[in-house]
Amino acid sequence: MRQIKRALLGGLLSAILLITGCSPFVENNTIEEIAPVIFWFIKDGGEGKLNISTLVPPLIKEKKRLLSKNVELLKQGGKEFNLVYYRELKNGQLRMILINEELAKKGILSMIDTLLNDPNISQRLYVAIVDGNFSDYINSQLSQQANLDYFLYRMFKHYEDKHQGEMSIVNLHQFKNKLYTPFSDPILPVFKVDKNNFTYQGTAFFRHDKLIGKINKIDDEILQLINNDHYLKLLPLPELSVSIDHVRGNTYMKLNQDYSSLSFIVHLSGRIDEYRGNKNLHDYEDFLALNHEINAFLKKHTVDLLKKMQEWKVDPLEVGKHTLRPFKKSMSEKEWSNYWSKMNINVEYQIDLDPLKNMNQ
Amino acid sequence: MFRFWKRANIGTAHEEIEPRKNSVLSLDALKLLLANMHDAEIIERQTNVDQKVTLLYIRTLIDQERLNDTIVKPLNHCTYDTVYECIQNSKVFAVATLEEAVKLLLQGSVLIYDAFRNHWWAVLLANPLSRAIESSETETIIYGPKDSFSEQLDQNITMIRRRIPITELKTEQYTVGYLSKTSIVLMYIDGLTNPEFVSIARDKLSNIDFDLILESSNLTAFMDDHMHSVFPQYLQTDRPDACAYSLGLGKLLFLVDNTPFAIVAPITFFHLFQSPEDYINRWIVASFFRCIRYVSFLISVVLIPVYVALATHHYQMIPLQILFVLLESRSKLPFTPFWEAFLMLITLEIIKEASLRMPSKSGQTLGVIGGIVIGQAAVEAGFASKVLIVLVGISSIASFLVPNYLVTKSNTIIQFVFLVLSSFLGMIGIAIGMIGVLAHLNALSSLKQPYFAPVAPFYWKDWIDTFIRGPLAWMKARPESLYPLDKLRYKRRR
Repeated sequence: MRQIKRALLGGLLSAILLITGCSPFVENNTIEEIAPVIFWFIKDGGEGKLNISTLVPPLIKEKKRLLSKNVELLKQGGKEFNLVYYRELKNGQLRMILINEELAKKGILSMIDTLLNDPNISQRLYVAIVDGNFSDYINSQLSQQANLDYFLYRMFKHYEDKHQGEMSIVNLHQFKNKLYTPFSDPILPVFKVDKNNFTYQGTAFFRHDKLIGKINKIDDEILQLINNDHYLKLLPLPELSVSIDHVRGNTYMKLNQDYSSLSFIVHLSGRIDEYRGNKNLHDYEDFLALNHEINAFLKKHTVDLLKKMQEWKVDPLEVGKHTLRPFKKSMSEKEWSNYWSKMNINVEYQIDLDPLKNMNQ
Repeated sequence: MFRFWKRANIGTAHEEIEPRKNSVLSLDALKLLLANMHDAEIIERQTNVDQKVTLLYIRTLIDQERLNDTIVKPLNHCTYDTVYECIQNSKVFAVATLEEAVKLLLQGSVLIYDAFRNHWWAVLLANPLSRAIESSETETIIYGPKDSFSEQLDQNITMIRRRIPITELKTEQYTVGYLSKTSIVLMYIDGLTNPEFVSIARDKLSNIDFDLILESSNLTAFMDDHMHSVFPQYLQTDRPDACAYSLGLGKLLFLVDNTPFAIVAPITFFHLFQSPEDYINRWIVASFFRCIRYVSFLISVVLIPVYVALATHHYQMIPLQILFVLLESRSKLPFTPFWEAFLMLITLEIIKEASLRMPSKSGQTLGVIGGIVIGQAAVEAGFASKVLIVLVGISSIASFLVPNYLVTKSNTIIQFVFLVLSSFLGMIGIAIGMIGVLAHLNALSSLKQPYFAPVAPFYWKDWIDTFIRGPLAWMKARPESLYPLDKLRYKRRR
């Protein structure tokens, strides 16, 4: 009886292990024998091919070099890197996917799906668009900066944590959610790159998986306020000679019955941090006038930004979700796209700014 | 079959000597039994009334001064008719059988043979070889009582009786070990402790059949429900306050003669993490430190195996900042993570064991050598990574946070098992190990009571003194898992 019990328990344990895919025949992942790569830079390789680049060795104080491969398939590139490097390159620590802008315009769905299907790759992988040749930048910086790849990752992580509200940092999980959710279009950060610089440029809008357009500067800052983080540590408005500190934006959207117009209300609070204009901010009238100017300025740019979105037929703000009602059949994305592109948008800003100094001074 | 020679069967086996004790009580029989015992003395005395008296005793077991004061001198000046009247001692027994005579003799009695009336008397003059009451070395506390048990059984009972001065505190004496004749005292509070526990304890004590029971660990070995488990199923403590508290909850106490450690039963796994200091500190502070102990136990068991699992199988799970450090420190090592960890842990165990065996004055030297060998030299020689050294240090220190020394020792075995599992199966191996340990703990029992209570079986009221130590005023009921006859700890309902 005891033997039967033991056999049953053994069988059950083996079954549990095998069902969950926990085969005892695991691959060798001993960390000193492998090279876990941190990033892949992918650009168009011509003739339908992809050009993949990565930096080896990752994280170790050895002479680094950039590996590049022209391949038909993403995973093929991962495999072919192993043929030119003495440690097995593993993608389980892949933290950044940098995609060239030209390739993004053609569509990145297959790449995103490949990455999503790999159980080794974390969905906290940062995805970004690069305007320029990232390989040239890496090659020129290799001798100047050790662990460049690692510090790039730290930059992404820093701006993602605590919603710093400076950059539109997006990870694979967020991109996938927006990509496969109805009435939602994904966004990605765009970095301008040349031989010496890697600079945040703005945000790229996608219609499904294709890059449609980019926004930068004030438009990007407004996007941070109305959609991304709803927070900006600093909002400089050089046109008005003012900078606003600790800006928080709360957005309210309301569609009318026939979806012909959208009321877009933004509650914005902050503190005037610096002013170099001609107004006397000790004077209440002047302070109110500056408030009006800021209001008008933000309203104008928000309208412009929303018009761009309508023009490109993208809806990263998920306005379409406001059409959903209980017990009511949802409209098709195409139908919504038609409504969205023709919609009248009324933007209203309700600004609550703290003055620079005591008003009664 | 494989015995190439056979020793000549000379001498008499113990089993053959034993029946001699059943023969008739006589001077000759006793002399035969006391042969070849240099400390056995047989003295003949004449009383004032010309009566011949023979004294038999074992010199090393009795108090010589009291022998002179209460027997020898009174006999010399005795004018009474009977020897019994001459003896000036309250502990005088009449002896009828040889077996009884031998037993009393070996307990430190003086046998007195009145040849005229053919009477045998025994006077208990045991020499109490005892040390002073000292503070506990194994369970030190800052505040609270400092006394601890000694090797004197009666003295230990006194310490308990002084704390619980009630007639319901019962003591039952047993003798175990046919060579050691060790006295065991079972203590419990009548009307509070569940009688089922008492009867189980009686059965267990009655069924012990072994030659030597020299200390409490020997006793627990024969009373264990699961002898192959690495977890202690009885709590050994030398603190009378902790024992009194346990008795008050409805537990049993076993006091073993010549041992300063009492045995508390039944216990649960969670009792091993409780310290007497828990009931001295403020409850929030005590709860925090108790939680720290549980966490430390977990750390001491799984920290190194997790390192091995991550460095061998799951590089994906390591945060990049840590991977950076780990790759740097492991890049030039000749060993795989498993062998690196295994060798370091074995070295650590060797140093730990050596420090216990070495004279105390050499301990410091060993500490320095051990520190240098395990720390700096191993890293510089390229045998171990800096990360592992840090982890070994943390897990080693964490293992000492558990108040029970036996658990600290058990940790090592569990850690090695987990290490092997993690090297083969990674985190899945550790998960399987955890399931195994939990299943094992769930299957254990202490004095036939569930070892993993109050978690399994679930007694929610007992949780107030399990993972946390709730305020004493809230502990209105005794632990449900002990099924006490008197459930409440207060007399008047508040």
